[in-house]
Amino acid sequence: MIVTPKITVRVVLIVIVGVLLQLSFFSRIAIFHTSPDLLPALVVSLGLLGGSMTGAVTGFSIGLLVDCLMVSALGASSLVLLTTGYLAGLFRERFDIHSALVPPLLCMVLTLFAEVGYAATQVMLGIDSAVSFLIVRDMLVKSIFAFFLGWPIYLLVRRILRPALVEEPLARRKRRDPTVLGT
Amino acid sequence: MYRKQVRRRRAVLALLVIGSFVLLTITYGQSSGGLQRGVSTVFSPLQDAADRALKPARDLVGWFDKTFDARGENSKLEDELEVAREAAIAGQAALQENAQLRKALDFDRSPAMAESGLDPVSARVVARAPIIWTSAVTIDAGSDDGIRPDDPVMSGGAMVGRVSSVEGGSAQVTLITDDSSAISAKILPGGIQGVMRPVIGDPDQLILDYIDTTEPIDVGSPVVTSGWEAQGLESRFPPNLPIGEVTKASLSEQEASQQVRLRPYADLPNIDLVSVLTGGSRR
Repeated sequence: MIVTPKITVRVVLIVIVGVLLQLSFFSRIAIFHTSPDLLPALVVSLGLLGGSMTGAVTGFSIGLLVDCLMVSALGASSLVLLTTGYLAGLFRERFDIHSALVPPLLCMVLTLFAEVGYAATQVMLGIDSAVSFLIVRDMLVKSIFAFFLGWPIYLLVRRILRPALVEEPLARRKRRDPTVLGT
Repeated sequence: MYRKQVRRRRAVLALLVIGSFVLLTITYGQSSGGLQRGVSTVFSPLQDAADRALKPARDLVGWFDKTFDARGENSKLEDELEVAREAAIAGQAALQENAQLRKALDFDRSPAMAESGLDPVSARVVARAPIIWTSAVTIDAGSDDGIRPDDPVMSGGAMVGRVSSVEGGSAQVTLITDDSSAISAKILPGGIQGVMRPVIGDPDQLILDYIDTTEPIDVGSPVVTSGWEAQGLESRFPPNLPIGEVTKASLSEQEASQQVRLRPYADLPNIDLVSVLTGGSRR
């Protein structure tokens, strides 16, 4: 991804809108008693499109913003989401995305990773209360939600960041060639 | 060139990871710092606008979810209705008696409120923590409305949490289902005391611990805040704020205490409007 001031502004707007949407909408609805978590899927999409550094930096920023807005211990969400973004970016750098199923599947797997990461962070900080087994169900259902949220988020983020994506024009040209009629 | 780039990327990553750990170490277990207060103040109008704009969509999703749930609960509710009808008849008689007593004593406020002299401030929930490990919400009223840290927060006539930090136009509320929550409570009518703790991941369940094993406890008994006062110290919460009702009371032989399971009265996953009880003398 070619990072220009314009693209930086777009990424900042994506981060702010994503966090506001999560806190004001997704966290406050429950489908099958579970609230969808948009943020890991958003970080994965940014990592897949921008690479490991973009993924890590945006993951850190999103986590920091969430912790600031919810006045919880700073750094916990940042640590989890920066790792999630970095892993998504690393995947993009090591492998080609051949199938349309890759982004949603990666969103699902890395959302599960993020949820386990949140749990590990809480264990690290210490838990005084009893923990319900329902937390496992919550993690799994959130990952399934991420699969369905992943694809539209990935497409939307790709559309917004299109001018900065290096491989985009090549991919478009490659797709057009075989469909020209009469040649 | 490539090596330099790789080294720079690794340095940025290491900086971010170390930064996260440093932030975690500095801010864990402390009240909100200047950064958090500043960010909350800046984002407060945005959160308010987002909350208003997204309410119809939230209501639509909520309607679908509730309709789906209602189908499964229908038969269970029919059974409960019969029991509730009998209780309602008894309740009507009690209400009539209560009204007469209130009139006689010239009460114009609830008993808990009258005792504590608290003033309720209405507020709307504008944001909720995204992870299940943290039970906290942001409300659209703050210190400008007279709200202070540790003020109790009610919803639907039941206690839902306490104010954990305050800014001018917004405040953060730590819910009773958060790991950091521990409230001294008592079971009515006997007044058996215990400490109420959450069950992480299950917002429909609470645990009342450290109870005298010799005391009998009935399922369905109401649980309220105990509001203790001793040696010049006071509980954060005034007495008799409703919390929930007993759903299970099991005697643990290994422990010298009885553990009681509660169901909170408030619909904690779906709270929208709250009342913050302000003006108390608690610390």
